Amino acid sequence: MLKRYDAQKENIISAGIDIGTSTTKLVISRFSLMNMAGGTHMPRIEIIEKEVLYRSPIYRTPLLTASSIDIQAVERLVREEYITAGIEPADIKTGAVIITGETATKHNAEEMVHSLSDHAGDFLVATAGPDLEGIIAAKGSGAYELSKRTGKTVANIDIGGGTANAAVYRSGRLCGTCTLHIGGRLIEFSDGKIISISPPVQQILRLWGADLERGDSRNHPIIGKLTDYMAEVIGRMLRKDLHREDLPLLLGHDPNWTEEIDYIMFSGGISECLYHFENAESSPAQYDDIGKMLAQSLRNCRELAAFKWVEPDETVRATVLGAGTQTTEISGATIHAEGHELPIRNLPVYQIRFDNNLEKGLHQITEAVKKAVEIYDPQQEGQNFALYLTALPYLGFRDIQELSSVLLKSLQAKPMPEQPLVVVLESDHAKVLGQTIKVQETKQSIVCIDQIKVEHGDYIDIGHLLQTNVVPVVTKTLTFHR
Amino acid sequence: MNPELIEKVTRLVVEKLQAQETSDVNGQKSSAAVKFWRHTSSPGTQPSRMSEEVIEAGKQDTDGLIKIKSYQNSNAFKITPTDKASHDKTESYSGKTGIDNPADPVELEALKSKTPARIGVGRAGSRPKTDTWLKFRFDHAAAVDAVYGDVNDELINRLGLFKVNTMVNEKEVYIRRPDYGRKLSEEAKKIILAKCQKGPAVQIILSDGLSSSAIEENAEDVYLSLQQSLKSLGLDMGTPFYIEKGRVAVMDEVGELLKPKVVVLLIGERPGLVSAESLSAYLCYEPRKGTIEADRMVISNIHKGGIPPAEAGAYLGTVIQKVIKYEASGVSLVKKEG
Ligand code: B12
Repeated sequence: MLKRYDAQKENIISAGIDIGTSTTKLVISRFSLMNMAGGTHMPRIEIIEKEVLYRSPIYRTPLLTASSIDIQAVERLVREEYITAGIEPADIKTGAVIITGETATKHNAEEMVHSLSDHAGDFLVATAGPDLEGIIAAKGSGAYELSKRTGKTVANIDIGGGTANAAVYRSGRLCGTCTLHIGGRLIEFSDGKIISISPPVQQILRLWGADLERGDSRNHPIIGKLTDYMAEVIGRMLRKDLHREDLPLLLGHDPNWTEEIDYIMFSGGISECLYHFENAESSPAQYDDIGKMLAQSLRNCRELAAFKWVEPDETVRATVLGAGTQTTEISGATIHAEGHELPIRNLPVYQIRFDNNLEKGLHQITEAVKKAVEIYDPQQEGQNFALYLTALPYLGFRDIQELSSVLLKSLQAKPMPEQPLVVVLESDHAKVLGQTIKVQETKQSIVCIDQIKVEHGDYIDIGHLLQTNVVPVVTKTLTFHR
Repeated sequence: MNPELIEKVTRLVVEKLQAQETSDVNGQKSSAAVKFWRHTSSPGTQPSRMSEEVIEAGKQDTDGLIKIKSYQNSNAFKITPTDKASHDKTESYSGKTGIDNPADPVELEALKSKTPARIGVGRAGSRPKTDTWLKFRFDHAAAVDAVYGDVNDELINRLGLFKVNTMVNEKEVYIRRPDYGRKLSEEAKKIILAKCQKGPAVQIILSDGLSSSAIEENAEDVYLSLQQSLKSLGLDMGTPFYIEKGRVAVMDEVGELLKPKVVVLLIGERPGLVSAESLSAYLCYEPRKGTIEADRMVISNIHKGGIPPAEAGAYLGTVIQKVIKYEASGVSLVKKEG
């Protein structure tokens, strides 16, 4: 064994907050970062360990009305949980707030997320979107790990109150996602009677010519048929064989993976009804809905029995653990980032593909910056964006100089050219590019980072420069591209 | 194996190689004989560039037993006049695997993409396939060329360097007598003293060492980027020069003569079978006669498929800054850093 000199280490705290249709929960974790290259090599900083320090109880999501979240109550809850966990908001360097399921459609959801990421920590990211939800849950449940370890194709189906979010992984590679309007809260009861039926379910009932109304008994036989049907739809979705009449339950795009699924894993609140991992006392929230019946239907469903079932590592906490521990990436260690510009939040990404041809890429830059302004800053208010340069050819020093001067020139198309120039590179060139830009234009403020994978249209958050000279980056993929 | 069969096979191979020579793409022979491997950039950015053309001499009557790939890099990218001709040489060993019916081709590809090592190349009985074997011989030859070649004067002039010698006069001696490569010739000492600024913060030296190709292909980008980086950091860098047939410890003599704070020596590494153009930057704080090896440090693996040369140059600046701040390098630096 070679001795590791000068291993630079550091710990950072990450928070994950999941505000779901039915429940809200929080986790605090600690990431250990370490230089995995020998002390005299070029540094390579990696997250080598993630330790969950604190898991909150599972709270019922506070709502003001059926269509609005009680922002103050959520904030209070988060504040109190921080105190119990012994954490100051300022300690938190990364993490994600995620609004999931039906909650994301509440009219003040966006306001909620922004107010939380302003108050809950210096660097906390807001995310939403059903594809991302499925992805995060699959990482928190252990499905992603399982696929990586076994090389198998694993589908994670996270079923909460409002939606079932499936994400399919093979060998740790994302194959596709799909979301259905299937969840425990689609029909709610009170005192043994139905008090609400969600619109997609109503549509299905109409298709069936069945009538089920508020006030009907919770023992109405059609309800069992409904949950059985939901389980079958999940089975068909996994086989990419949804029927026409199933479509009212489809939220967004069709299943978009091409692989055959080997293993299935359930997470989310419904999974808790299947596996009972949680300590009953730690979860003050109680539900009066079709959740338990749905779980029973999943168990009995023939379509689903054909797959190999694997128990998840986490049930109802999969999403919050995914949000708290799986959303942060670490940039390359040789970068150029001006500390006073950080953190930067919600920066849209504009990709410029070089197709391994420098000339071609350089030609596109000015036009790309104009386009980015049109798309992301149509009112010319100064919404900044990141340029993501991909498929660069090999860049010699003179190429870097050329790239730098073209980038600087292109900034004139921005309403506020003096804004920090944020460049994300796929390949390891950030330090020399940043340095060169600085030499060519001393006054230009620059954040130039590399070895991060993002996509056109993503939003990224770039955290404070850490002691190990890297920045944490969280990518918010709002749309899922194959 | 029977001798006639061996002869027949050999003739076939030679014929196919010749056929390829004439039918080479654009009839243009590429000069570089070295392959690169990108393990630092994100996967999937560069498709395999290993030329896939299989030369089908005659009919498939050999049952496809002998398929010879072109090891030359076919120039698929357009090279603009300003580009150095070497810019497009990137290829990986992955690409078509040599395993005939892999159980899990996707997984095999994923494994292959993680290493430049010759895995998943298949076999013919207990031996490597002809293709694998030829490729191995080819890489070996490239390594030998790198050791025995000389650096073009044009490059040295372009970088504004002057050239001096060690006590070695020819490569055979260089290899047998590493101690000669650590000492400057008397003439070299005079020239250095006459031409160089004394007592700079940083003294940059280049030397071919064990790979002239490393200098030819990568030194310029490292050098220019390092220069810029030192300038930005406000570190003065004396008068750089080139030492032919030098060894790492030759920096000690330079240290004696010029008394710089730090010496940075960009030198060709002993070539391997993955890259023959890998460059190292050896650094030492106040190297002098009797400096111990533990006080040197090295950033190695600088080449187009390793640490990108321009990025390495930018990074070296920060390392030098640290060395100057702590007045130590190597193990002493690690100790002082605590
Ligand atoms: C050959 C070699 C050796 C030989 C050197 C034999 C000799 N006297 O010539 C031996 C086996 C002794 C050796 C030992 C070590 N090596 Co060595 N070695 C190499 C190798 C394969 C080629 C080096 C080369 O081409 N040099 C250029 C020629 C022209 O130099 P030279 O003057 O002929 O020889 C000098 C250098 O080779 C130098 N040297 C060799 N290794 C090292 C390591 C360090 C940290 C330093 C400062 C100098 C140094 O010492 C020689 C005498 O002055 C490289 C691989 C690579 N990709 O570069 C690894 C490499 C340089 N070695 C490495 C290491 C870690 C070591 C050891 C620390 C291993 C150990 N734990 O003991 C020791 C330290 C030796 C020392 N001088 O301080 C690492 C350095 C990693 C890093 N960036 O810090 C490398 C990059 C291998 C790797 N990929 O891990 N090494």
